[in-house]
Amino acid sequence: MNPWLLVVVPAVASLLGVAVRRDDRIAQVVAVVAGGATLLLALVAWISQSGSVTGFGPALPVGELHVPLAVVTDPARLAIVTVVALVATAVQLYSTWYLRTDDRYGQFAATVSLFTAAMLLVVVSSDLVLTVVGWELMGWCSYLLIGHWSRRATARRAALKAFLVTRVADIGFVLGIVGLAAGAGSTDLRAVVAAWDRPTQCIDSAVAGGSVLGDALTACSAPDARLRAVLLALVVIGVLGKSAQVPFQDWLADAMEGPTPASALIHAATMVAAGTVVLAGLHPLLEDSPSARWFLGVAVSVTMLLAALLAFAQSDLKRMLAWSTVSQVSIMLAAIAVAGPGTGPDAGLLHLWSHAIYKSLLFLAIGWAAVVGGGTAASALRGSGASTPVLRAAFLVGFLSLAGVPLVVGGVSKEHVLSSAWDGAVAADGPGVLVLVALVLTSAVTAAYSTRGYLVLTAHVRQRPSAGRVPATVPGLLWVLVVLTVFGGLVVLTGSFAVHRVSLFWLLLTVLVVGVGVAVALRGGFDRDPAEVLARRFVPLADRGFGVDVLYRRLVARPVLRLARVVAFVDTEVVDAYVRGAAVATRAAGWAGVRLHRRERPSAGVGLVLGAVVVLGLVGVLAWS
Amino acid sequence: MVVSLLLALPATLGLWLVSGGRGLPLRVARPLAAGMAVATLGLAVAVALTGSEVDRAWLPELGVHWSLGVDGISVPLVLLTALMGVVVTAHAWVEVPSGGTPATFLGCLLLVEAGALATFTARDAVLFLVAFEVVLVPMWVLVGRYGDPHHPRARTEAAQRFVLYTAVGSTTMLVGILLLVASAGTADLRALAGGAGAALGSGTQLAVAALLVAGLAVKVPVLPFHTWLPPAHTTAPTAGSVLLAAVLLKMGTYGLVRLPVATVPDGFGRLAPVLAVAGALGIVWGGLVCLVERDLKRLIAYSSVAHMGFVVLALASGSQTGLQAALFANVAHGVVSALLFVLVGGLKQRWGDVDLAVRRPALRETSPRLGFALVIGLAASLGLPGLAGFWGELLAVYSAWAPAADRPRALLVTCAVVAAVGAALAAAYALRVAGLVWAGDRPDPEVRRTPDTVGVERWLLAGLATLVVVLGVAPMLVLSVTADAVASVGGAR
Repeated sequence: MNPWLLVVVPAVASLLGVAVRRDDRIAQVVAVVAGGATLLLALVAWISQSGSVTGFGPALPVGELHVPLAVVTDPARLAIVTVVALVATAVQLYSTWYLRTDDRYGQFAATVSLFTAAMLLVVVSSDLVLTVVGWELMGWCSYLLIGHWSRRATARRAALKAFLVTRVADIGFVLGIVGLAAGAGSTDLRAVVAAWDRPTQCIDSAVAGGSVLGDALTACSAPDARLRAVLLALVVIGVLGKSAQVPFQDWLADAMEGPTPASALIHAATMVAAGTVVLAGLHPLLEDSPSARWFLGVAVSVTMLLAALLAFAQSDLKRMLAWSTVSQVSIMLAAIAVAGPGTGPDAGLLHLWSHAIYKSLLFLAIGWAAVVGGGTAASALRGSGASTPVLRAAFLVGFLSLAGVPLVVGGVSKEHVLSSAWDGAVAADGPGVLVLVALVLTSAVTAAYSTRGYLVLTAHVRQRPSAGRVPATVPGLLWVLVVLTVFGGLVVLTGSFAVHRVSLFWLLLTVLVVGVGVAVALRGGFDRDPAEVLARRFVPLADRGFGVDVLYRRLVARPVLRLARVVAFVDTEVVDAYVRGAAVATRAAGWAGVRLHRRERPSAGVGLVLGAVVVLGLVGVLAWS
Repeated sequence: MVVSLLLALPATLGLWLVSGGRGLPLRVARPLAAGMAVATLGLAVAVALTGSEVDRAWLPELGVHWSLGVDGISVPLVLLTALMGVVVTAHAWVEVPSGGTPATFLGCLLLVEAGALATFTARDAVLFLVAFEVVLVPMWVLVGRYGDPHHPRARTEAAQRFVLYTAVGSTTMLVGILLLVASAGTADLRALAGGAGAALGSGTQLAVAALLVAGLAVKVPVLPFHTWLPPAHTTAPTAGSVLLAAVLLKMGTYGLVRLPVATVPDGFGRLAPVLAVAGALGIVWGGLVCLVERDLKRLIAYSSVAHMGFVVLALASGSQTGLQAALFANVAHGVVSALLFVLVGGLKQRWGDVDLAVRRPALRETSPRLGFALVIGLAASLGLPGLAGFWGELLAVYSAWAPAADRPRALLVTCAVVAAVGAALAAAYALRVAGLVWAGDRPDPEVRRTPDTVGVERWLLAGLATLVVVLGVAPMLVLSVTADAVASVGGAR
């Protein structure tokens, strides 16, 4: 099957969706059918295809640069494609109920389709330009989705913030991609990897043959390792922005202003996780560049712990889920940061796979619970998860998976990340030790806030809230996701992801760490909110995300605006002044000329006559002599 | 022969409309002008397909030929100009500015179109210059007579500034062209590009390149020669703004490709670093001004300065990729700015002014179709993939990062970084406008709603928006047309 189909189907659906946006019923059909078709195509391809298949693109004739615009699918990519399509379809189905009274449902559904197409493009892209295309499109779709309820000033601000923060980080992304492509003279991923890869074998044999390392590098025409590290770091900066990692972390929690299905899409399967896919594609270069991996490793280690702590103390449970996403994406990226030569990036992709399932489950469940409870604050949601069995099951399984309890999907993938962090820590280069410590600490905190989430949502309240009337699709959807969350870990058996077997040791360690986290969370008993018990003072600070928003404004927005005012002033008063000066000077010269002629006419005439007399006299004298 | 007809038809009707037929009533003049614009578009397509050309001795004593024809570099611009001719004449159904008879207005539009077509098809340096100058007069009438009726003084000033500033530029170019023609001994642009120009001594090349670049930089406009553009855009009627942005600015960049880049490559190469810096600075400069500018029309004018910065930067890189990037970005900017100016002109017609400091009901709430077109235009302006603006800008950054071998690499890489920062600024100002004009609170039922777009305006906006999407999804439409010609220009180096 041509991989392009996977992108074209949702893209066409978004175009169609814009055309039929007026009629909700047709828009629903278009959105859901396209989502289902994409899912079906992805499943069929995943099951039937063994090797990798290339979809050739319309190569761009742009001079010296080679731009093939090709896409490729292999088992790991197809697994990701499938889960993305699954979440997208779930979101489309869910929003037919959730946004049934929204007057802009049509636009929403079309944007979700475009978002899906963009993400799938990033996943199957084997061309850096296509990666940029999908990458930027996702940013734009996130702007539209977060700002969907644009009548609310907070939603408008959150959308603006999300787009600008990620776009600033994308300066790095674009420059990194451009630099990598320039080194290869091509944007084809394989060509880029080949051009920047360290020719290890050649160097080793040359060194073994007795030559100095410097000579060996030249002889093997090895790429400039320092430039490669800089370019990879630039790409990593872009990834940190889109994935809401330190120092760009603050936009994602604000993005909760968007409708819940949009949050589920952005968090579970698309935008924030996309960086993992991109870096996994560039992993052959990253593994040779410890400095770039250190850069990534430090950023994600700080982020995963910080975000987990913030998640624990949020007074709003939807924002808690947002911070948990930040933390979980750090774990995916950590798997790539620690993977040195010989270890693939697939542990990170596996965690992306499992996170997509359980995080979409949690978001879709909390959206329903928020309708039941009338808000997303912990106080409003208290007990609303107990209103119906499906919600209780969804929260139980979802939070177990988030906490990383063994055997459910989140636990399986997290153990793989832990084990590859261990491999990285044993190897000399790279940030393995740092990441391993951060991972263990984060696991404990994650278990604590997962416990908190479950306790608050299913707490016993005097008046049991009613689950309201929902169509059968919503509970059905949640059951499917519950089943997948429990058994999804079996995906490691398909062999789509190249991961090692995990030893029993990691299982025991995880149980221990999770146990510690749960025990800490339960210190106040089953009836009280652990955040109230353990971190009451910390809650207001955490709700503001440590006030990083103020920093963004003070350090970036305000200086730029000030500079802009100076530039605008200089533009009109200095640059334009010489133009006006030319006009004034010309007019002054004209005025002077006029004055000179008018006033001096008699004397000028006398002067002329006198001059003529002198000249004539001279001529006469000369002729005489 | 067809190519002569392409120029003669709009020129003849235009001349008649501004002279003998200037009293013609609107209901006659409008279909006449629009019909002529459509016929011209048909001829332009025919010329593009057949590659029609003509070559007659015009002033044999001076060796000047009446030589017209198209190649890959000019075809996209000829088509763009003819299309814009249709857009502006059709826009007369939306708005006919006061200030003179409607027939004169339409005649001036056709004359601008004819002059621009002549510029893009001229194969003789002197003919190019003549055509380049011819455009100024009708444009001056459009800005000075038919401009913003509320501010007569500003109108006169903007028109005078436009004419004088660009005339100074053209005079500089005239000297450059005369020097080039006199020292190379031919005015044929093909011969000049084919080696006659490159054979000149390096001092002469530098002098020619400096004169030509300085003169054309005014038209593009390149920082710091851009200050004529914002006032001209602000006061010009909508159709005038569209022609100014989508056609006249393109004449500047086209001139840069045809004259200095193709004929005196070594001289241009020595100036390229200066041009690259000016381009990169222009991107950031325009972006910053847009962050605080209050008048929406001025804001779009400054964003044009930023977009043209990308074009200039790509040209300065000296690689074929850069040339392709420049030509694509040129066409893309033409379409995007036409969309934005039709839209903002419509807003100005509805609101009386386009001051961003005045809070108005959000377009998304009151007039969703206008809002949708605005969002497409703004997204294209910030370089969103899938829309026209993206490819030219990404390739421009690439070409600056990987310039030709004889360019100072470190400087151009720095320019690439600056340009990438400018792209982020573009996002900031585009979303600023979206936040102020497009998105907003639920409208107060008491306040008068902004009427949504209907009729001709709607179709114009829909057509231009579609074109923006088509160019973004299928950039190869333009790139494959220009590829061969670019390779031959690159081969002349």
